[in-house]
Amino acid sequence: MREKHAWSTLFAEKRATLSNYFLRRVAHRWDAQDLVQEVYLRLLRIEPADAANIRSPEAYLFTVAANLVKEHAVLRQHQPLGSDELEQVVEHLVAPANVEADMDSESRQQRLGALIDRLSPKCKAVLIMHYRDELTYREIAERMSISTHMVKKYIVKGLAACRQRMAEYE
Amino acid sequence: MSEPTHFDAARQARRITEQAVAWYIEQQEPLSERQRVAFLAWLRTSPQHVAEYFAVARMHGDLKTAAAFETLSAEALAEQARRDNPVVMFPLMGQAMPKEREPKSTKSARAKRLLVAFVGAAATVAVAWLGMMHWRTADGIPQQHYAQSYTGDVDKVRSLKLADGTLVQLDRNSAIDVHFDNRYRRVDVIHGHALFDVGKDAARPMLVNVGGHVLQDIGTVFDVKREASGDILTVISGRVRVLNGTNASPLGSDALADLTAGQQIEWGSAGIGQVHPVQIPQAIAWLPDEIRFQRETVADVARRFNAYTSKPLVIEDEGIAGKRISGMFHANNPQAFVAYLSTLPHVKVVEAADRIRVVALR
Repeated sequence: MREKHAWSTLFAEKRATLSNYFLRRVAHRWDAQDLVQEVYLRLLRIEPADAANIRSPEAYLFTVAANLVKEHAVLRQHQPLGSDELEQVVEHLVAPANVEADMDSESRQQRLGALIDRLSPKCKAVLIMHYRDELTYREIAERMSISTHMVKKYIVKGLAACRQRMAEYE
Repeated sequence: MSEPTHFDAARQARRITEQAVAWYIEQQEPLSERQRVAFLAWLRTSPQHVAEYFAVARMHGDLKTAAAFETLSAEALAEQARRDNPVVMFPLMGQAMPKEREPKSTKSARAKRLLVAFVGAAATVAVAWLGMMHWRTADGIPQQHYAQSYTGDVDKVRSLKLADGTLVQLDRNSAIDVHFDNRYRRVDVIHGHALFDVGKDAARPMLVNVGGHVLQDIGTVFDVKREASGDILTVISGRVRVLNGTNASPLGSDALADLTAGQQIEWGSAGIGQVHPVQIPQAIAWLPDEIRFQRETVADVARRFNAYTSKPLVIEDEGIAGKRISGMFHANNPQAFVAYLSTLPHVKVVEAADRIRVVALR
């Protein structure tokens, strides 16, 4: 994939935005299950030798997905997204979504907020400090009198609990 | 290939979610080569993994906004988290447990000793200590004192229900002391073998004293065995924290151990062992094979089954919970009881990831 390197850098820089765009936008245009299947098949096709060379499997994953979305958009809309111009694709991806998607995202955020609120007080404190107050693990560890290792554990635990309960809604 | 049950599917889904989240968080730092290979292999295991990873990524994108709904300051949250684990521990907590028979002068002498012990300790400890004094002297406030000793039957396991709803299975030749007040529910395991299904009471934590080690439960079923050779704690469901009852400032120190369902720890004169996984059927082999009940509430019967499983039955509807039933089931077959429940009118059984919910059919 010619664009791989550029995409990797871009994803490294804009990881949150791009991963966020992901199903939110895509789900409204293309059945997310189809996309997952297609991404999965492409992952399976990676040769062992190439696999070792993938610097960031995550960036690769999103790149594959982004390319699929792009190809799909081309097919669907007969409207190429400035084929080679990466910036344009990104612009498109991070542009405001349609109203429906926004509403959906808003209610999801509220639901997620309610789920965070219901976590154990420790889990909740750690998540809020990290995501709202943007404190580092070390800073949180100091405030909570726990180890940074535990901070990470609480984050993983909290996110898994939220995701599990979000899945029940979907 | 056999069709996976709902139970298996839910457990599987939960494991995939946990793995996806762990991988997602791991990427905040560049992965090592070994991790890269492992992550790619994980993704390639199943489309479900890919889907879940995307779902986690999407949820993660909403987190900042969602977290911003919280209005409490970081300090207030940290304080709340501290209070969540009200490890209000006192030096030699076993002995510090209030005894009804104790004369007043001894009480104040003990209070002085406690005071001395806490001089120079952290502010949080002082607050805890003040709280304790309040609890000891607040005569104006109605106290819900409840103190009782129980011993096991000679010929069979005895089932007890304590004032707070806690269910205890007490083996032959076993003894426990129970002391509840407005602030704490304390249980001393004197000797023998007991299984606790802790009643819910958010305001009064349950502290179980086992030879100087204090177990703090968090909504839980656990088994305590005291023998001459040492003590064994097994967690059937939920979580239990082991604290050092003899530590001078336990608030500042970490828990000796945190156990979750299916884990066991042992300690004796030689010290405390490692937390290790355990086969639950083995740990609870001493419990009767059958669960017999005569006009008991569905809620109580369900909790008796919960002593045998890491996936507890939760009766969410009060009407169903209070319904009285009679019968006999094989203890190792909670499914049969669930099947029975689902035949009751207006009852619906929902398999969740970590529990079986029994709700009203609307």
